[in-house]
Amino acid sequence: MSRAHQLKISVAGVRGVVGEYLTPNLACAFAQAFGTYVGPGPVVVARDTRASGEMLVHAVTCGLLASGCEVIRIGVVPTPTAQIYVADIRAAGGIAVTASHNPPEYNALKLFNGEGLFFNRYERAELLDLYHQSEFRHAMNEEMRRVAVDAETAPERHFARVMRHVDVEKIRRRRFRVALDAVNGAGSRMSVRWLRDILGCELHAIHADPEQPFPRDPEPRPETLEELGRLVVRVRADVGFAQDPDGDRLAVAGESGRVLDNDDVLALAVDCALRKQKGPVVVNLTTSSAVDDVAARHGCPVYRTPVGEANVVERMRAVHAVIGGEGANGGIIFPAVHACRDSYLGMALLLERMAETGETMNALAASLPRYWRRSGKLPFEHGRLGMMMQALEEALAGAQADRTDGLKLILPDGWVHVRASNTEPLLRVSVEARTKEEADRLYELAVSLR
Amino acid sequence: MARPGATLRISPAGLRGIVGHGLTATHVLDFAAAFATFLEAPGRVVIGRDPRVSSVMLREGVTSALLAAGHDVVDTGIVPTPVIQHAIRRLGADGGVSIGASHNPAEWNALKFFTRGGSYLSSAQSEELLDIYHLRKFRFAGHAATGRRSEDAGALEQYLDELASEFPLERLQRFRVLVDCTNGTSALVLRRMQERFGLQLILINEALEGRAFVHEPSTTKKMVELQLAPLVKTVGADAGFLFDIDSDRVAFATEEGEAASEELVMAVVADEMLERGPGKTVLTNLSSTALLEEVAARHGGRVVRLPVGRQAVIDALSGYRMQQIAVAGEGTGAVMMPRFPYVYDGIAAMLRILERMERTGRTLGELVAAYPAYTILKGKIPVRTRFIPELFDELEQRWPEARRNRQDGLRLDWEDRWVHVRMSQTEPVIRVICEQRGGAPRRLFDEVMDLVRSYSA
Repeated sequence: MSRAHQLKISVAGVRGVVGEYLTPNLACAFAQAFGTYVGPGPVVVARDTRASGEMLVHAVTCGLLASGCEVIRIGVVPTPTAQIYVADIRAAGGIAVTASHNPPEYNALKLFNGEGLFFNRYERAELLDLYHQSEFRHAMNEEMRRVAVDAETAPERHFARVMRHVDVEKIRRRRFRVALDAVNGAGSRMSVRWLRDILGCELHAIHADPEQPFPRDPEPRPETLEELGRLVVRVRADVGFAQDPDGDRLAVAGESGRVLDNDDVLALAVDCALRKQKGPVVVNLTTSSAVDDVAARHGCPVYRTPVGEANVVERMRAVHAVIGGEGANGGIIFPAVHACRDSYLGMALLLERMAETGETMNALAASLPRYWRRSGKLPFEHGRLGMMMQALEEALAGAQADRTDGLKLILPDGWVHVRASNTEPLLRVSVEARTKEEADRLYELAVSLR
Repeated sequence: MARPGATLRISPAGLRGIVGHGLTATHVLDFAAAFATFLEAPGRVVIGRDPRVSSVMLREGVTSALLAAGHDVVDTGIVPTPVIQHAIRRLGADGGVSIGASHNPAEWNALKFFTRGGSYLSSAQSEELLDIYHLRKFRFAGHAATGRRSEDAGALEQYLDELASEFPLERLQRFRVLVDCTNGTSALVLRRMQERFGLQLILINEALEGRAFVHEPSTTKKMVELQLAPLVKTVGADAGFLFDIDSDRVAFATEEGEAASEELVMAVVADEMLERGPGKTVLTNLSSTALLEEVAARHGGRVVRLPVGRQAVIDALSGYRMQQIAVAGEGTGAVMMPRFPYVYDGIAAMLRILERMERTGRTLGELVAAYPAYTILKGKIPVRTRFIPELFDELEQRWPEARRNRQDGLRLDWEDRWVHVRMSQTEPVIRVICEQRGGAPRRLFDEVMDLVRSYSA
């Protein structure tokens, strides 16, 4: 395992393997830099269900208090719920202790501004400078503020916002039978309340115990969700939902138990949103062209950004997008609720669409344009990406090139994208085409290049 | 050259400093991680804090460092330091941390560390801890072995149970006792003691304060004179006691409204403990009153004199069986008794003094008056550190006839008076303590002060 993988301190925050690499000392110092940056107003602290979460919450609280911030701890909640809470109470900022879909030995600090959004790249660079310079504000005893605990209101605030944008009654009337795999994550209790109590579904939940470890690879995608697929079939559910440990990502299974491609889930969500209101769509470069086709049906433009939620959200705000997201990652961003990836909004949008049309999830998915996709990863080596980019452009001469994040080559009936991962020492290769043969050809071509 | 006024002190006694101006979160995390590494993981560690606002910051840092090393943390909340020590022993925990700066002003804070049984660390253990801190190679557990935190809200009640098993609380109900809690943790214990055992305690400055205390939290005669003594007579109390923030120290005033010397806390407790036995040894430092020798002699006991500071007493204690010890402590009002070894406990000292009143049938004023008067003079002078050895040599040559003790600076003893000259552990000053049976040893004190002053910065 490479050094870079075990601890990464970057403009994206701090991420690492807990123990020798991501220490409480480091988390405390980073939080103190954060508190210095956002000022003494309240800072909201939340976490997911990782075993190391409680330890890191205490370290983060220590650093924030030392910088003179008031701290509001809202316990184990999904990241979007924490972001909405920050915006709701007009806090100075927020820190979510979560490594999202990374394996359990990892943890990280996700940082939010007073609006509950990611900082822009310039702010993130400033914060990182503060950390490196150790230029912290050190509050004295009489300047120190308190730790408040609000373990109750965050989920309800989140639900209330989503409910302003979906027809809950319409969903309730259908009494959908829903299967859920909550990966024993931060959304475990909240998702049960959302689907069963609020949306009135007959719920069959697995892995909804926040005290238990992650039962599977925490990244929700078709290959990791066989158990959900079997559950859907066994209980004859109308739909199956799966989350990641911090509840921002959503994966969906149709009534046959087949788990949809996350790109198709986003394309469906885009369709749902544009039916409500026309407007621009923002997705990352690796997201399926299905989104372009769906947006075109509504006559709406699609903007593409480098991979990363912060990049997508930044552009969404600039172009006043009505929906956006990151296809393969299972992230649906609906800014009318909040400009963050939100699995709760995603579940409601899809159930509402099923209720409106009376169509099954498989039927809805079948209405999407058909694309074949392949993606994979290669170990990172310094210089390798550049070589691949050169070779790829030569091999696919004439393709339209986008160099905003690695290289994406767009062909008449497909595309290839090679880029470096933001979070892991990997190169990611993604391709898409109208036929399986073409997708395979593009993929094999890309990974064979030296 | 004299040291500048320190705002951070990292020593075998632990970590102490002015929060935000010397003592930072980084120090807290590093020092707590060093302690977490020092203890065998996975263990169980009891923590508690005083009411200072900054204590919450320290608690968060200490908690995360302990959890990260794989220790489970038992948080007893806002409690006196003795309660933490009792909880460590009762729970069979591996150690503990007391968060709070005791008798220092509100802007200060500190970490005190304990090992098994609630004992303070020995010098050798403290030095090992300090080595780990300086090396900064801390041991962290993997993510799955991270510790768990729990709260022990019952620690205070169980401490009260233990006091009730040692002191005849029912017989102490007859006394009307005025207590100045100085906005500190003694208030919590005493309020419950009143509710549970019917003691007549009149508490003043009972509200816990985090930002500023009603007066300096020091247990000196001067503070008792200013804050407490005049009220004792007004309310018609049989005794008045004054505590520091974490309740390990106490001072008192008599029913007549006379502030007693802080030195008398240990003397009265020693008198009572020596009389009961079996322990006949009194451990104390070189700066504490010579009255202790006189009291010990009456009961066939003896006084062992040690360098100033808690550490010397802790180290010396380990060489005795507890049955040998009558009492150990310092003239500052910090006293421990053999039933609760290694626990400096102002509340237990108060109960022992009340018990002596009850058992002898004498008022506190009568008890105090029965002791021969000793007068103590204290001074401090900043000096050039470099010349301190010469200073001690010159003092020794000036009074060749005196008995001398150089365990800690220099102490010179005559038949009816003594002087102790030493470097302070907390300030860059030389302290001069001079005591005489009877009136003030003014001439000796002045001569010593003049000589010390000739070395001043």
